[in-house]
Amino acid sequence: MVKHLIISTSLDLVRIAPESIVYIASDGNYSTLVQTDGEVRMLSFQLGQIEKMITFQLGNEGSVFIRIGKSLIINRSYIYYINVPKQKLILSDVATFNHTVAASKEALKQLKELLEKEVK
Amino acid sequence: MIQSEKDIQDSEIRIIGNTDVSAPQSRLRFWGWIVLGIALLCFLVGLLLAITADRKADRSKVETYFDPQPVAIVPENSIKHRLGREIDSLARGFCEVRDTMINDIPLRIYIPHNADMFLFVGEMDKSDTTIVFAAQAADIRRDNHEIVGAFVLRGEPLAWGLSKKGYCAIIDGRITIGVADNSPLFEEATEKGGYFFRQYPLVDNGVLCENEPKNKSIRRALCDRNGEIMMVDCSSPESFHDFAQALVDLGVTNAIYLVGSTSYGWAIDDRDVRVEFGVENRHLPKNASYVVWRKK
Repeated sequence: MVKHLIISTSLDLVRIAPESIVYIASDGNYSTLVQTDGEVRMLSFQLGQIEKMITFQLGNEGSVFIRIGKSLIINRSYIYYINVPKQKLILSDVATFNHTVAASKEALKQLKELLEKEVK
Repeated sequence: MIQSEKDIQDSEIRIIGNTDVSAPQSRLRFWGWIVLGIALLCFLVGLLLAITADRKADRSKVETYFDPQPVAIVPENSIKHRLGREIDSLARGFCEVRDTMINDIPLRIYIPHNADMFLFVGEMDKSDTTIVFAAQAADIRRDNHEIVGAFVLRGEPLAWGLSKKGYCAIIDGRITIGVADNSPLFEEATEKGGYFFRQYPLVDNGVLCENEPKNKSIRRALCDRNGEIMMVDCSSPESFHDFAQALVDLGVTNAIYLVGSTSYGWAIDDRDVRVEFGVENRHLPKNASYVVWRKK
């Protein structure tokens, strides 16, 4: 059975499969979760807390996510385009959604190298 | 650079979870630290042992002016030889009494000759001229006056239980002193009309046995020294530890405690002189038990 990420507060609970998450962005003390179906969900957790949830709940399966800098967690399955000089990262399934996010040049460079290494 | 730390900078990335590029590295680093730690610990323990051994060696070599270590005064007979005299087997029975000093502890050694050992329960008859040695054997509970620990008298078990690990069994004239939680000699004594009792262990195969009571008192022990059975007591109050160490230094192989302090007993020496120890008490419980040697 596919593991789901469960994000629970005293008032509500979000249960979502990892492949349904495109990225999670930091928004101060909150985080914004962007889903593959286009829905955007505000979470009352800091990004670091969500990273811990992913680690503890998904274990090895959590490695589908990559933390980029202080303000972004992306689903590596949807990395479509990286432009280091323009600090541009496009996350897409090349069919239904296409999200452009920004990251530092250094972080994008490392991400690019990581993906290059994986195909070698 | 892929981070494994919790904090992250904007110029850094890390894979969440436990696998991929960074995980094996951090795991290797973790085990590396563990191995390094164990190696360091082994080295320190080895170093400590080496230093301790060196110090011990030095201590044994160097004579000190202050605080000289007491030297064990072992009787002239070497440990390999018997302590008691060689007695003609046709001679009448008696108890050889010898005094010695071990580790500054004055010891008296009682070695019965041409006499058989057995256990007795009740009031001893001092006028019985066949008895060459008697000393109290098992302890008695203060509350109900029952014998403490397993006890067999002429094949009849009078008490059960293991409160003390030392034991003495007398079966078919063979005397066994040892230390064990369970001894088949208890059953054998019941089957063969023998004797068995328990007491504190003092020496087990030449090794000192530690005991809980830490006070000092007059101590008595039933000892086996390479097959030679004897009773040893100290005339000065000693701890269990010091007394047992003196027995070890005397060359005793196995020893168990006998009732100490003021408990009464006597020996008849080769001149028929009664050598008494302790304080005679005619109001002992009826379960008071004795190790007794009677002339053959």
